[in-house]
Amino acid sequence: MLQSTTSLTKLLFVDLIGSVAWFPIWWYTKGLKKMIQWCIEGLNYRVKQYAFAIWLKNFFVPMYGQYDWQGRLVSIFMRAVVIIGRVIALVVEAIVYVVLVMLWALVPPFAFILALQNIFLGRV
Amino acid sequence: MMQAVVCSKCNGDPRGSRSCNQCKGAGIGIQSEEGFLVWATEINEVSSALRKLRIKVNAIVHLALMTVIVLCLIAFFASVIPNYTIEDVQTWLFWTSGHWFVTVFYVAIVLTAYFVFRMNEFTAQAKDLPGWMEHTTYHVQRTTPDQGGERGTKYVVRGTSFEVSPFFSPQAIEVVEAAYKLAKDLGRVEVTPEILFAAVLSSHDGALFMVRIGVSFEKIKEPLVRLMMRASAGVPPIAFSRESKRVLVAAYALADETHRKHVTPMEIFLQAFQESEKLQELLDDLGFPFSHVSHVAQWVLLQSKLREDQERFVSLARLKPKSVMNRAMTARQTSLLDRFSEDLTLLARQGYLAPMVGNQNVMEELLRGLESGQQGVVLVGETGTGKAAVVEQLARRMVEEDVPEILFDKRLVSVNLAQVVAAGEPGLAAERLLSMLHEVAMSGNIVLALYGVEALVGFGSGPMDLAETLASEMDKGYCLVIATATPQAWTQYLERRSLGKKLVKVVVPPADTDQTISVLMVKSGGIEYQNKVFFSYAALEKAASLASRYLHDVAAPQNALNVIREAAVAVRKTKGEQAFVSAEDVAKIVHDKTNIPVEMVTHEESKQLMNLEARMHGRIIGQDEAVVSVARAIRRARAELREGKRPIANFLFLGPTGVGKTECAKTLAQEYFGDETAMVRLDMSEYQDQASIAKMIGAAGDERGGLLTEAVRKKPFTIVLLDEIEKAHSEILNLFLQVMDDGRLTDGVGRTIDFTNTIVIMTSNAGTAFIQSAMSEGQSIERIKTALLERELKSVFRPEFLNRFDGVVVFKPLTRDEVVQIAWLMLNQIGKRLELKGFKFRAEDKIVEDLADAGFDPQFGARPMRRVIQDRVETPLADLLLQNQASRRDTIVLGDHGELRVEKAGEI
Repeated sequence: MLQSTTSLTKLLFVDLIGSVAWFPIWWYTKGLKKMIQWCIEGLNYRVKQYAFAIWLKNFFVPMYGQYDWQGRLVSIFMRAVVIIGRVIALVVEAIVYVVLVMLWALVPPFAFILALQNIFLGRV
Repeated sequence: MMQAVVCSKCNGDPRGSRSCNQCKGAGIGIQSEEGFLVWATEINEVSSALRKLRIKVNAIVHLALMTVIVLCLIAFFASVIPNYTIEDVQTWLFWTSGHWFVTVFYVAIVLTAYFVFRMNEFTAQAKDLPGWMEHTTYHVQRTTPDQGGERGTKYVVRGTSFEVSPFFSPQAIEVVEAAYKLAKDLGRVEVTPEILFAAVLSSHDGALFMVRIGVSFEKIKEPLVRLMMRASAGVPPIAFSRESKRVLVAAYALADETHRKHVTPMEIFLQAFQESEKLQELLDDLGFPFSHVSHVAQWVLLQSKLREDQERFVSLARLKPKSVMNRAMTARQTSLLDRFSEDLTLLARQGYLAPMVGNQNVMEELLRGLESGQQGVVLVGETGTGKAAVVEQLARRMVEEDVPEILFDKRLVSVNLAQVVAAGEPGLAAERLLSMLHEVAMSGNIVLALYGVEALVGFGSGPMDLAETLASEMDKGYCLVIATATPQAWTQYLERRSLGKKLVKVVVPPADTDQTISVLMVKSGGIEYQNKVFFSYAALEKAASLASRYLHDVAAPQNALNVIREAAVAVRKTKGEQAFVSAEDVAKIVHDKTNIPVEMVTHEESKQLMNLEARMHGRIIGQDEAVVSVARAIRRARAELREGKRPIANFLFLGPTGVGKTECAKTLAQEYFGDETAMVRLDMSEYQDQASIAKMIGAAGDERGGLLTEAVRKKPFTIVLLDEIEKAHSEILNLFLQVMDDGRLTDGVGRTIDFTNTIVIMTSNAGTAFIQSAMSEGQSIERIKTALLERELKSVFRPEFLNRFDGVVVFKPLTRDEVVQIAWLMLNQIGKRLELKGFKFRAEDKIVEDLADAGFDPQFGARPMRRVIQDRVETPLADLLLQNQASRRDTIVLGDHGELRVEKAGEI
C-alpha cells in the first residue's frame, strides 16, 4: 500500500512539475511540428478547395457551357484571371500561416523576457 | 482471428521479454503493416487509479489555468482602458516601464501557451487509428501511424513493436482495468479472455449487447463466474495471460481493418469470444450459438461505426459544390431538368441518403459498366432488392469523390419519368425529353438516374417512342445513364430494343437471410428512434427468415424491413414506449399478414395438434388412414422438421368419388391455413391437351401469368388441389415432378414461383374398381395400397411420379354405417344454422336411416346425400320458416317419415 502511495505521489509530482519542464521543449519540437502541420493541412484544404488541378485541366474548356468562340475567349481569360487570383489568395494565406508560425515561435519567450524585465528592471 | 505469433526474439519468455526490444515485454503479438502489434502496457491498481486521478487533476489544473488567464486579462484591460490613451499604448515605454498590469498581461500570454500545450498533451482521449479516414476503395493512401501524433510514438518500421493501447478508447481502457479488478476480486493471478469478456459486459456497450441478445445478466452470471474461476489462483501480481494479450492486440487489428476511429469495448468482446471455446459453449448452452452471438456483437459495433462513418462522410463532403455548378465551372443552369428531377448528389451531401449495406459486388459491377465505355448501366432486380439504394450509395460516393475518373466532379440527377411523360401529348413529352437532354449535354457534368426506365417505352408516335429517342441521344455520348428496371420489365420492354442494347445489365439479386439481417441492423436504429422501442436480435432474425419464406410480394430485404416497421408500431401501441420487440411480435405480424401459424408452437396449440385426428374426424367420417397421414404431415410442418426445399407435403388421394377426398383437403386448409378457402383447385379434366399448359403456368409475354402460378404467387400458403390427375396431359405431370421435388415452378414470364409453403394434393379415381372389389373381398388397406402401387397405377402414372408423394392415401368406399354418420353430420350442420336463427332442431333416428339409404350410391359414395337432404329437409324447412309457422325458441322436429313439425316452447 505504502509503495503504491509513494509511487502515486511521485508520479503525480513528476506529472505536474515535469509538465512545466517539458512545456518549452514540447513547444519547439512536437508543438511547433503540430502547428506547422496544422498550417499545411489548412493550405492543403485550400488548394483542394481552389481546385487548381481541375481548373488547369479544363483551362480551354469554356465556362458555363458557352461553346461559341466568344464564350471560349472570355472563358480562357476568366480562367486565367481566376487562377492567378486564387494563387495570390493562396500566397497571402500562406504568408499569414508563416506569420502565425513565427508568432508561435517568438511570442512566448518574448512575453516571458519582457515580464522578467518588467518585474526586475521596471521604470528605467 | 488474425494469426498471433510469439515474439521471435525473446520467444515470449516472461523474464527475457521484459527487456526485449521487439515486443517490449508483451511476449506475443500480431504482424501487421504498422509493425509487430503488441499490448505491453502494464495494468494494475496503481496505473488505473493514477489514470483516473490524472483525469481529475488535469481537469482542475486546466480550470485553474483558465481562471488565472481570464483574471489577468481583466486586470490588464481594467487598468489600461480608463487611464491610458491609444497613443500611450503604442509606445515602447508603456510596455517596458514596469507597470504591474503589463507584467500580468505577459504572464497571461505565457500561461495561454502553457494551456495550449496541456490541452494538446494531456486531454487527447485516444489516438485515431491509422485506417480511420481512409477511403474504402479508390485512392487508398495509407498514412503512417504517427501523423496524428498526440502521444509520442516513434516512427515505426516493420518488425519493431507497435504498442496498441494508445488507440483504445477510454471506455475500452476502463474495460481492461475492470478485467484486472475482476481478476483481483476473484483471487486470480491472471486475466483470461473470459475475464475480459465479463468485464466488457459491465460496460455501456456490454449492457447494450445484453439487451439486444435478450438475456438477463443474472442468467449468465453464475456459469460465467465458474469459467473465470478456472484461471490460476494465487497472490498478486496479476498478469494478463498470453491469450488475453492476443485478444487485445486482435481487437486493435479488427478495429483498424474495419476503419474504426478507436478500439472500443465491443472489439475486445468479439475477440475474447472468438478466443475462448468455453465461452462459446456457455452461450451455446443458453441457446445462443456462435453465429448468433457474433451477429449481436457486430450489430452493437455497427451502430457506433455508423455514427463514425457519418462523421467521416461529413468531413469528406465539404468540398462538393452545393449548387448545380461543378468545380471546373463548365456546367450551366439546367432549369428544365431541375423542374423534372431531383439532384441526388445534393441530397446525399445534405445527409438525406442513407448508406447502402452489402451489395458491394453490384456497386463494383456498376462502376465497371460505367467505365467500360458503354453509355449506361441498367440495374435489374425485383421490387425491394435495393436498386434505389445502389443508386443512392453511388450518389454518396460521388459526394466523397470516391469514384472512378469518369464520375469525378459530376452530379447524379434522378429524373421523374412519370412527370416527363405526363405531358399527355406524345410529341410534347418527346420535346421535353430532348430539351432536358440538351441541357444535360450543354452542362456536361450530369449523370442521369432513371428509375423504372420502362416507363419511356411505347410512349411516342409509332415506333419512335421515348425509349428510342433516349437511345439515339445516348449514342452521341454526352451523358451517362443509370437506369433501373424489374426483371419482367427488362425482358418484356427493354432487352430486345435498342435502349436495352446500349445499357450494361447489372443484376441486383434479392438479399439472402444474412444480408437481410445486416440491412435490418443498419435500418433498425432509425425505426427504434421513431417508435421509441428496441429490437432484440431474435426479432430481426425472425423477420428476415419469415419474410423470405412467407412474404413474396416484395423481395428481400424490403419485405423484412416492412415487417419490422409494422412490428415496431404494433409493439409501441400495445406495450407502450421503451418496450422490446421480440421474435414473437414479429411472428405475429407475419401471421396477421398471411394467416399462416408461424409463431412458436404454444403449449395449448401443441395439445391441439396432438388431438388433430379427433378434430378432423369431426368433419370426416371414417377414412382413419387418410386422417392419420394428413395429421402427421401437419405436425411435421408445425414443428419445423420438414426440409425447406419441398412443398409442406405431397399427397395422392385415391378412391371412389364422394368418400371425403375433397372434404379432407378442406379440413386441412382449415386446420393449417386457418381458412377453408385457402385452396387453389384445378380440375385436370380441363388440362388434357398440351396447349393447356399455357393456361396453367402462363405464356411468354403475357403478363397475366397462368391460373396456377398466379394464384400461388399471390397466395403462397395454400393447398393446391388437383382433381382427377389421371386426366391431365403427361407434360403437366412432368411439371409437377419439379414442383414436388424442388418446391418451385417457373412460369411463362420467367418468374420463379415458390411452392414450398403449399400442400400439394392430387386426387384420382384410377383403380377405383379395383379398390371396390378388393374391399368387398375384405382385403386390408395396406394390401390394397401395395397392389395399387405395384400393378393398377403403373399403367396410369410413371413410377418416378408416384415416388414423389409423401403419402399415397387410399380412401375406402363408405359403409352404410358411415353414410348414416354423414347424414347425422349434415343434419347437425342444418341444426347449427337454425340455432343462429333462434330455433332448435331435432331429427328422429328412423328418418336419418332413410335419408342415408336414399343418399348413398355405391358408385358416387355420399355425393347424392347433399341433394337428398336439400330436397327432403332443407326445402320443406324453408317453406315452414317462410310461412312463419315457427317462432324463436321453438323446436323443429324432423319426424320418422320426413315430416316437419314444430314443438312450441313454453311461455316465459
